[in-house]
Amino acid sequence: MSNRAGQATAFMAITPIVAGKEDELRAYLDGLSQDESPFALLPRTHFARWVILDDWNDEKSQPKKDHLLSRYLIFTSNFDGDLSSYLDELCDKLAPQAGELWGRCVGCPDGAAGEALKEYLMHNKINTGFFVAAYPHLRVGDVKRALDTRARLIDFAVSSQGMRPAELQSAFNAEFLLTDGSR
Amino acid sequence: MGATVDPITATGTHPRNVDGQAITIAVFSSVKWSGRIWLPLLFWAVTLLARVEAWLRRPPGTLARLSFIHFARWTLVRRIPYNGAPQQKEKLSYPRLFFESNFNGGWEEYIDAFSHILTKGMILFWGTSYGFPQPKPTAPFKQYIKENELEASHFYSAYPQATTTMVLAAHDLERKFDAFKGRIEGATPDAFAEAWRAFLSEVQADL
Repeated sequence: MSNRAGQATAFMAITPIVAGKEDELRAYLDGLSQDESPFALLPRTHFARWVILDDWNDEKSQPKKDHLLSRYLIFTSNFDGDLSSYLDELCDKLAPQAGELWGRCVGCPDGAAGEALKEYLMHNKINTGFFVAAYPHLRVGDVKRALDTRARLIDFAVSSQGMRPAELQSAFNAEFLLTDGSR
Repeated sequence: MGATVDPITATGTHPRNVDGQAITIAVFSSVKWSGRIWLPLLFWAVTLLARVEAWLRRPPGTLARLSFIHFARWTLVRRIPYNGAPQQKEKLSYPRLFFESNFNGGWEEYIDAFSHILTKGMILFWGTSYGFPQPKPTAPFKQYIKENELEASHFYSAYPQATTTMVLAAHDLERKFDAFKGRIEGATPDAFAEAWRAFLSEVQADL
């Protein structure tokens, strides 16, 4: 079992959808916009998804068929740091969305928030066997900052072509030294 | 973010599986009895190998060297958690191997690369799954994946504009840029201009 790769963590929970609530849940998920994704409220999240599992796909070579008795909501996330504090954040910041999602699942606590929701998700956790990351030591903030720096450098390299040395140095200082308090 | 926008390369899959440059793929396959023993051993071995490589600071393994994968995971699902009535207890006839990856580029190219570069690794991971057709030729394998793939209901990337290569290049560039800023402290305009040109030459592969 390995839910960690460097500082990154993989989480997966499978929760049973209440019979008759599948269409409502599907419609709610259909209505979520990627530009305003609830996952954006969790700044430690690199990638995450919700999936509805209707049933297994059986292979012809299987000796017998296997069918699920319920439909399931699968939640997976790749995020920074430890699971416990991530779920604390999720159960706090995503409480309104959690009611729409896990609130339609069997066993979800009333209100779908806080410690009770965290316990519910932990109860339905499936451990990862092998987890690999291309940049296991980079946090979301590190990635975004580096991408922003790269974009600004590309823009500056283009816009500064043909500048004289004094003008170039002045423009560089204004772009990267005077305005970049984080450095 | 600046004005530079790379062309979107995510193709070959349902739009729900896409966020900007990023694609998600999730596949369940049914596992033979031998996989109940084999897969946990394999997971243990490859995890240990990855940790030893990281500790020795050796270059990452083949999977991590596939430059279009952000994250990937394999999970053996042996049971479905029970939450009490009205959920009916599930009794799985076969455990299920869950594979999920976040990558960039085309879906077809992704499967092609897996088949051609990770041929042995794929046999190790999926060799105990029912219906696994072997990685090559790729057409039957792609069909196998399509039949077992789950479409995302909602998929999110924190940095949808970025490919894996861009993330790694940006990180490398940032380190070099910090060093550059240290070098130019107190430089005259002419010395600065010369250092800037040298810096651009040094980092051109990262831009």
